[in-house]
Amino acid sequence: MNATIAAVRKTFSYKAICDALWQANPISKQVLGICSALAVTVQLKTALVMSLALTLVVAFSNLFISLLRTQIPRNIRIVVEVSVIATLVILADEMLKAFMYDISKQLSVFVGLIITNCIVLGRAEGFALANPPGRSFVDGMANGIGYSSILIAVAFIRELLGAGKLLGYSVVPAAFYEAGYVNMGLMSLAPGAFIIIGLFVWLQHALLKKK
Amino acid sequence: MNSSLKSIGFAAAMCVVCSILLTTASSGLQHFQQRNVLLDKKKNVLKSVGLVDEEADLSSAEIESLYALKIRPLWIDRTGSIVDEDRRQGDELPMYLYLQDDQIQAYILPIDSRGLWGRILGYLAIKPDGSTVAGFTVYKHSETPGLGGEIEKRWFQRNWVGKQITNRQGSLVSITVAKGAVADRVEKEKQIHYVDGISGATLTGKYLSGGVKKILDQYEPISIRFRQNQVSPDI
Repeated sequence: MNATIAAVRKTFSYKAICDALWQANPISKQVLGICSALAVTVQLKTALVMSLALTLVVAFSNLFISLLRTQIPRNIRIVVEVSVIATLVILADEMLKAFMYDISKQLSVFVGLIITNCIVLGRAEGFALANPPGRSFVDGMANGIGYSSILIAVAFIRELLGAGKLLGYSVVPAAFYEAGYVNMGLMSLAPGAFIIIGLFVWLQHALLKKK
Repeated sequence: MNSSLKSIGFAAAMCVVCSILLTTASSGLQHFQQRNVLLDKKKNVLKSVGLVDEEADLSSAEIESLYALKIRPLWIDRTGSIVDEDRRQGDELPMYLYLQDDQIQAYILPIDSRGLWGRILGYLAIKPDGSTVAGFTVYKHSETPGLGGEIEKRWFQRNWVGKQITNRQGSLVSITVAKGAVADRVEKEKQIHYVDGISGATLTGKYLSGGVKKILDQYEPISIRFRQNQVSPDI
């Protein structure tokens, strides 16, 4: 058992995911992709869908760009990267419109804005261009998971404190409200997201420094 | 030269592949998307008269059956008379009735207004007195999320309920989106014709006010008939 754990720990995937979750987290360490993290974290549901969409887009854009990496002419590589990403994002958007219409209306422009999310282009440019497809795909997945972890944590806190709900279900007992508990309106507004993300960034930097 | 040719060739191939992918996806999914849009419209008709709550998670079948049961779509001509489906000339106006136990509870007008960045589409429901707003919804717009986009939010739409489109003398004054909160900005006796505006979205409010006024003008003949109690449910 211990041997398998040790073996898993040595794999590239494990390291990539750990890195993206903690030491090089795209949001809390590299402070990328903040725009969408502020906008879609009012509710857990939209954050989950956004996380899923972004993770798939990063993973597949990494995969395709890595597959093409020997072919892509250097002078137009950014153009090529952006067109791959844009194609994937539009596909994701069309899928959402076809199968999850209500959520796609709530996410509105932010799915489209994945195109401009620095995480995606950053991984394409910084990793996929220089690494084989398998590794690039895992790297994309890992970064998507890193982004998702913060997004979901922020959305969890904001929906719980701001609306007293989780995934749309009330979790704060009615007795609390009768006893004078009030939802924190600030959490459902953009400043709430700024504060929560700021706290995450601070917490992580403090913990990393200690080590 | 060779390398530029290669770049151009690569870019061209890229364009072709991407466009084929996107076209396939778009035409393949169009059927599902259109169904969603239609259903969303019906849901918004129901929402404008308070039959469906924003938060309620109804299945598509439930919405369809509720719509079929309570809503009757019809067409009216410029003089406000109802036109039979097979006698339509092409310039009639669409409208919906909300019926409950064979009584008209409200009539619903489709809103198609200019916005700051694009059209604002929604519904305005008016009670059978021909003046009191029963509800307002927006199902499609291109306004900035967080600013003009707030028109699709509940707090904005809830303000419309109970407002009057006519003054005491019975003439049409429409509903105007105020520049700020109604309580601070508008004289007491006129507050019944104004709804709270959205800060940072003055222009959206201005265009929406204009659009609603225009639509209410168009539908004024039928509204007058409602005010004079001339519309019966069995038309």
